[in-house]
Amino acid sequence: MRTGKERLILVMLASAIISTTLLLTGCTNDNKIITIRTTGATFPQYQIQKWIDVYQKNHPNVKIEYEGGGSGHGQEAFLQGLTHIGRTDPPVKEDTWNKFLNTGDQPLQFPEIVGAVVVAYNLPGINELKLSREVLVDIFIGDIEYWDDQAIKQLNPDADLPHEKIKVIHRSDSSGTTAIFTTYLSLISEKWANEVGAGKTVDWPVDKMGRGLAGKGNPGVVAILKQTEGSICYTELSFAIEENLPVASIENKNGKFVKPTTETIQAAVSQVSSFIPDPTEGYREDIKQLLDAEGDNTYPIVAFTHLLVWQNKNGKHYSSEEAKAIKDFLTWVLTEGQKEENLAPGYVALPQEVAQIGLNAVNMIQE
Amino acid sequence: MSGYRLRKGKEILFILAISILTFVGILPLFHIIVTVFMNGLPVILERGFTFLTGTLGEGGIGPAIAGTFILIFLSSLIGLPVALLVGIYAYEYPDSKIGRATKTLLQIMLEFPTILVGVFAMSVIAIPMGTYSAFAGAFALAIILMPYVAVYTQEAMRQIPFTYREASFGLGLSRMKVIFKILVPLAKRGILTGVLIGMAKVAGETAPLLFTAGGLYQSYPTSITQPVGAVPLLIYTLVQSPSKADHAMAWGASLVLLLIFLLIFIPVRLSLREVKL
Amino acid sequence: MTSIKTSLHFFFSRCNLRKSTGKVDLFKVVTVPAVIFVFLLFAWMLGIYFYNALPAFIREGLSIYFENVWQAAEEASNEYYGLASAIWGTVYTSLIAIIIALPISIAYSIFVVDYVPKRVKNILIIVSDMMAGLPTIIYGIWGAFVLVPFLQKYIMMPLYKHLSFIPIFSSPPITGYSYFSAGVLLGIMVTPFASAIIREAYQMIPFTYREAISSIGSTRYEATKVLLGYIKPAIFSGLILAFGRAVGETVAVSLVIGNTFNLSIGLFSPGYTISSLIANQFGNAFIYEHMLPVLYAGGLALFIIGLIVNVSGLYLLKRWEEIVRI
Repeated sequence: MRTGKERLILVMLASAIISTTLLLTGCTNDNKIITIRTTGATFPQYQIQKWIDVYQKNHPNVKIEYEGGGSGHGQEAFLQGLTHIGRTDPPVKEDTWNKFLNTGDQPLQFPEIVGAVVVAYNLPGINELKLSREVLVDIFIGDIEYWDDQAIKQLNPDADLPHEKIKVIHRSDSSGTTAIFTTYLSLISEKWANEVGAGKTVDWPVDKMGRGLAGKGNPGVVAILKQTEGSICYTELSFAIEENLPVASIENKNGKFVKPTTETIQAAVSQVSSFIPDPTEGYREDIKQLLDAEGDNTYPIVAFTHLLVWQNKNGKHYSSEEAKAIKDFLTWVLTEGQKEENLAPGYVALPQEVAQIGLNAVNMIQE
Repeated sequence: MSGYRLRKGKEILFILAISILTFVGILPLFHIIVTVFMNGLPVILERGFTFLTGTLGEGGIGPAIAGTFILIFLSSLIGLPVALLVGIYAYEYPDSKIGRATKTLLQIMLEFPTILVGVFAMSVIAIPMGTYSAFAGAFALAIILMPYVAVYTQEAMRQIPFTYREASFGLGLSRMKVIFKILVPLAKRGILTGVLIGMAKVAGETAPLLFTAGGLYQSYPTSITQPVGAVPLLIYTLVQSPSKADHAMAWGASLVLLLIFLLIFIPVRLSLREVKL
Repeated sequence: MTSIKTSLHFFFSRCNLRKSTGKVDLFKVVTVPAVIFVFLLFAWMLGIYFYNALPAFIREGLSIYFENVWQAAEEASNEYYGLASAIWGTVYTSLIAIIIALPISIAYSIFVVDYVPKRVKNILIIVSDMMAGLPTIIYGIWGAFVLVPFLQKYIMMPLYKHLSFIPIFSSPPITGYSYFSAGVLLGIMVTPFASAIIREAYQMIPFTYREAISSIGSTRYEATKVLLGYIKPAIFSGLILAFGRAVGETVAVSLVIGNTFNLSIGLFSPGYTISSLIANQFGNAFIYEHMLPVLYAGGLALFIIGLIVNVSGLYLLKRWEEIVRI
């Protein structure tokens, strides 16, 4: 006694199953598609996505899945083997590096691009904001409560600062961007170093004051900033550019107030003869090396962001095709990808010798 | 007779109050449906068929839809047999200690926090396997699907008039035959309803997939031991991004999900008389 | 080894796989393993949570549930965690949810049973069931993009401006993501569950009671008051089950609650719930030496809260049903 409705339901079910099976079989014909996964830091998000776009256009049978999650998640997924290429802003710590080694394979870490952490804010009508080193720390540590505080007014006499509480937006997840920013703050302020410290996750004093907000990933932080008047946050330059956010001019080591631009970031990179360790000893890298560099026109909060791949000893982590695809992609990233036309706004290319270290690492991957 | 007037007045106020409250209670559903349509339809119309079949790079959610179907299918494969058997057992032995314990367990599992099921599936399947996979996601979904189907199965069997049982046993059939050859076919419609409602529920679940499925949106899934995407999971990721383009895509995907849900749910619900949970 | 044998033997003798004729009952052989499997699965889940949470208890003791701190240091020895904020958030938002669910589910039940013709009744019931089954992510996206701005503009801001001397209104609604928004969204989501139970119970009241009350000349309002009193345990049970449902909701809540480690009674401050904490932090917990067990401990707390709430709700309902059936 099949009623009309029953028939309809059975037909729907059958068609769903049939279409699914067709999809499955239909896609394993002709050229086999290789999927590579990259997970982790959202600091380089726009750059990675641009590289994926360009690369996929020229290599139709390689698909690259982008997953966010923050540097912490990137390291974790990499450790668990849940992703092919991990992304982390700060170099991996020795403890974690040893965990990687315990899997029996050799991890390789190298920088892929240079970016900057900027301080973005949401104050309608105010396009320029100068923040001295002290004021910057005081705002984020919670000592300065209102936008029209004397300290801020002194630096910005022409700005019409509102009498509103400053809402500080930080990350809720384990973040390399946070690590870079807090390391910088610890560097320039003993107070910060003692009371808060540096790390991918810190206990923000503003949370307890009710003025702290947390966002997931750089995108999350920026989303909250856009909707919250009177808020301030730290994020990667590319997000400020993409979302048209005003950024503050930060006082650098030479006492000059600089805005983050390609020139000011490059100034930092060229000032420092960067020490990038051998990719097999990634934990030795010092996150502080590009921070607070000298020079009048240098932006102080600049950092490398890194990729993690396995050497794939005895094919432990990647299949032969995956390894080939990964090598090809990363070689492209470190050579073509560093060219001007393939850079996303807000990022600066690696110095030649740094890119070379990455290429050495990629060559070590066993197919 | 002012006492009467007062009572009459209270009566009218009362009716007004409960009508308003009821209206407030069901308003959100209509508002949600309208909002999803208003925000999602322009996106789908603008991109046309690509939205439904293209990969993320092409501006579409095709792999996510495929992933959702695969997960529904796979989780049913894993969960249905157990669910049916448990439901039938609960029907046959409602008063035994084990039977009652089973019913209680099913009720508990019905409301169990789905995130906990997801974390469990991750630690038991995804991590040992060393990868996110459709299988891990389906496993989590099967655990969530199971109590729904079991309870609906039990209820459906209960609706069958006792005379059928008596007659079958009277003819000398074994319990196995009575249940599976006579009663279950009679309860077919009710059981099917339960299965479809379970599937509809599972199609819309997000939390169990967070740490099991992994997400796959640039290409169509080809294997169940590899990561897979799903429409709810994609929406969750897109909503948290600041870009308006991502939000627009999230609304479009929500509309697709809503349609999938309504398409399964409404016919099933309309053909069913009330089932007591 | 022998203890396993004896307990299995005990279990199977209880099970009595044989019929009175002594022949093996095939039906039981087929279905009982499924039942055992489900029980074992559930026990396995509980076990995994216990096992994985143990290191946290050993390291920090039960104070893990009572402190509000989240220090995820890279130096393992500096890590220190406390779940108080998440636990508070879970309980607070679920309470708000059932405060909202209470009047609406009761009103709905009365309306549907007493006041509408059959056609409309069926439609309203279907609507309620749809709300119960609607994918939670859709609630979440609607909540984040529609409900929160609406609540912030029309309810939270005015209340904060005019009534901030009352403690629960004293925190500024910065973004709208708050306990209040989460509570309202949860309320909308769990009302159908409470409604289903209350409606059933209300419908089930023996007709004789209704007849009796109206025969002494009561108005509908007065009659309803009496009848509601009669099903009080069912109402209570419905709310408890709704509470259990609210406690476990993850996705929709994490999109509207703000995800901050707060411990405040202010309705409009952002906060955390256990489920959204797990959803947010699990992705990076593995690289910290001690975070993972803490998250499992949170899951365990959720597990236990849910268990207690659901079991007591069901128990109440069952007891009341038994009484009523007499």
